[in-house]
Amino acid sequence: MANVAAAIAALGDPTRRAVFERLRDGPRAVGELADGLPVTRSAVSQHLRVLGEAGLVSQTRVGTRRLYRVEPDGLAAVRAYFDDLWGSALGAMRDLAEADESDVEDP
Amino acid sequence: MTTVPVLAAVHVRRSPEAAFRTFTERIGDWWPLRTHGVYGEAAVGLDIVDGQLVERSAHGETSVWGEVVRWEPPHRFACTWHPGRAQDGVHTLIEVEFQPDEDGTRVELTHSGWEIYGDEAEQRRAPYQAPDAWNHVLGLFARAGSD
Repeated sequence: MANVAAAIAALGDPTRRAVFERLRDGPRAVGELADGLPVTRSAVSQHLRVLGEAGLVSQTRVGTRRLYRVEPDGLAAVRAYFDDLWGSALGAMRDLAEADESDVEDP
Repeated sequence: MTTVPVLAAVHVRRSPEAAFRTFTERIGDWWPLRTHGVYGEAAVGLDIVDGQLVERSAHGETSVWGEVVRWEPPHRFACTWHPGRAQDGVHTLIEVEFQPDEDGTRVELTHSGWEIYGDEAEQRRAPYQAPDAWNHVLGLFARAGSD
C-alpha cells in the first residue's frame, strides 16, 4: 500500500502537482510533461522521482520511450484517507431527519 | 490484535424517536448508495428487512450487508456490517446510540471489529474515518512549502 503521508506531501508542491495532473489523461514521456511547464526536463524528472517514491506514479517502457503514468492504488489510498464516510453519511442523516416536519413539535 | 473503532457523532434537532426512525427506516435515503454500494448506479434501495440490511438493484438483485443484532428503539441499534461480502462470518460491527440532550438527540456511532481483517485492518478502516486528516495535511503542506 502506498504511503499516504508521502503522497500528500509530494502533492504539496505546486509544480509537482502540475506534473501529476498532466498524467490524468494518460501516460506521458518526460518531454511531453515538460512542454508548457516553466521548468526544465531534469526538474520534471526529479518531480517524477518523488511522485514515484510516494506511490503516485509508475513508469513503463514502450519501445525506446519511457512513459510515466498515474498509479491507481496510490491515488485510491489518498482518496480513501479523505473519505470520512461515517462523518458525511451521518451529516446526511441529520439533514434528512431535520427536514421531516412531521416531528417538528418535539423536542 | 485489536484496532481502534471508528467513532462518529452528529447532533439532530429532533427527538430520539424521530432520529432512530430516520436512521433505520430511511437508511437508503441518507447512505451514499451510488458511490458506496454494491450495485453502484444500479442501486435502488437499502432497507432493513426481517432483521437484515439489504441493498436492492434495478435488476431485482439483492445483497445482504448485515444482520441486526440489537433493536431497542429509540435508544440503540446495532448490526453486523459486511457490504459486498457473503455471510461468511467475516464482518465488522456498527453500534448506534441515540441520546436525548437539551435541544434534540446526540447520535453516536461506533464501528468496531476491524481486527478480523488482520493485516488489511487499517486499509479497510481508513475510508470510514479520516481522523484529523486536514490538520495532518496542513502540517505537511506547510512543511513542503518551507523546503
